[in-house]
Amino acid sequence: MLLFDIVLPGLVLGGMYALIALGLTLQYGVARVMNLSYGESLIAAAFGALSLYSGLGLSPLVALLLAVPCAAALNWLLYRFLLERLMRRGKDRGAKEIDSILVTFGMLFVIQGIMLVAFGGQYYSYSYLSIPVVVLGTTLAVNRLVALLFAAVIGTAVYLALTRTRIGTAVRAIAVDPGAARLVGIDVPSMSGFAFACGGGLVAIGGVLVSMFLTFNASMGVVFTMKALVVVIMGGVGNVMGALVAGLMLGVVETAVARLVDPGLTLAATYALFLVVLLIKPTGLFGRAAA
Amino acid sequence: MLEIAALSHFYGKHQALADVRLDIASGEIVAILGANGAGKSTLLKSIAGLVTPTSGARIRFEGADIAKLPPHQIVERGISLVPEGRAVFGELTVAENLQLGAYPARARAGEEQRLAKVLALFPRLTERMTQAVRTMSGGEQQMVAIGRALMSNPVLLLLDEPSLGLSPLLSREVFRALAQIRESGVSVLLVEQNARASLDIADRVYLIESGRNAGTGSASDMKNNPDIQRAYLGKARAPTTASQPSP
Repeated sequence: MLLFDIVLPGLVLGGMYALIALGLTLQYGVARVMNLSYGESLIAAAFGALSLYSGLGLSPLVALLLAVPCAAALNWLLYRFLLERLMRRGKDRGAKEIDSILVTFGMLFVIQGIMLVAFGGQYYSYSYLSIPVVVLGTTLAVNRLVALLFAAVIGTAVYLALTRTRIGTAVRAIAVDPGAARLVGIDVPSMSGFAFACGGGLVAIGGVLVSMFLTFNASMGVVFTMKALVVVIMGGVGNVMGALVAGLMLGVVETAVARLVDPGLTLAATYALFLVVLLIKPTGLFGRAAA
Repeated sequence: MLEIAALSHFYGKHQALADVRLDIASGEIVAILGANGAGKSTLLKSIAGLVTPTSGARIRFEGADIAKLPPHQIVERGISLVPEGRAVFGELTVAENLQLGAYPARARAGEEQRLAKVLALFPRLTERMTQAVRTMSGGEQQMVAIGRALMSNPVLLLLDEPSLGLSPLLSREVFRALAQIRESGVSVLLVEQNARASLDIADRVYLIESGRNAGTGSASDMKNNPDIQRAYLGKARAPTTASQPSP
């Protein structure tokens, strides 16, 4: 049935977008770092999963257990020893954003260069659980269903952690107002580092899951950075629910356009949706009313 | 309880505070009076750790030097600031704001009882618990800000212009709440434009002019001091030397 042909793959894609955008929300919305090398981290995690699978025969789902702590630790070190200094130096939010954009723009090329040296420019994919199954009249590969399931479980867990726990509320408080967060005894620099590390962990999950069913190469990280940025802004910067809803929405719209109109128009559809949302609600779907 | 000496602070070349001294004893309400730009807010921010004083400044709280501590550790010691402009979390609900107030480790035990006390102090917050704070009136936001500060189980509450922009009725309610807060054993350091209301509830007063100490005394003495009346209580300059009838 056509409806499910669009909705199911759309949700798989949207689930990936939502997960990736959740990570960027933590890095940009909370730690205030506009991380332009975000997509490169995702591709690096994808290559990590590929290497572990083809080299050691390790399942990508097991690779998650390795990739997530590694990515979180690397991101924490990056924040603690490089970005935090910039954050302290920047006079206002604008200055901090420009500084972080310049540094992470450079990092983009460093990570990409390393991947190009190691893997070259060709496309890669591997076959893991690519067994077709029929769900609601739609044929899908098992790996996509597994990816959707993981995205749903992890997305829900992160959402609950951010809205129901004390630490999660503190993280959201920093996104709302870092100055006020200091007044209630939140250690803003350490918590920002923690949020940045969690964002890095989430993008690694996204990279490993995406690698199970997508072909990728060393220089396509920027696509994911753009998509994540579109989703975060569309949902309302720093808003967790916004990132989840906007991510799913984008996945379904892209799939519908690819299926019903032309696959070449998906990027155009992305930006059309982005523009429409921003025209109607300039601060995003779940953003605050125009200040 | 709080002893400040030799406190100076520069914004660039401009000296906002010069060798300020100030003491607060346990259970006191102390008011700071001074013109706009006299350095009152900078003084409160220095105590809360939001601005760093020049070296040599002494800020001792309950016997320990807190002049170099980051803001979150100062909250953890029991000093809470309600800043000018309130700095509530506008996007979050009243309940979330109050929950965040209890974020410091010192505030975890007894959070429930403290919440009940805050709601008894500001009953109108009870029915607003799930409302986003930015949709509330200035007076209600001020109650959230004070309530949030009290949730951190403070020993000393710093307030910067709590009645600014409030209607006279809500102002009165805020001052009534401050008196009650002191009754519960919390010391209060208050910076206020409304000199009359602060003199009414304060025990002692410090005058700050151009970042310097310009006098100190008990609130009742200050109220009867003609210079203070002229400068802060809006009494017209007496046309003759005839003294006013004493009450």
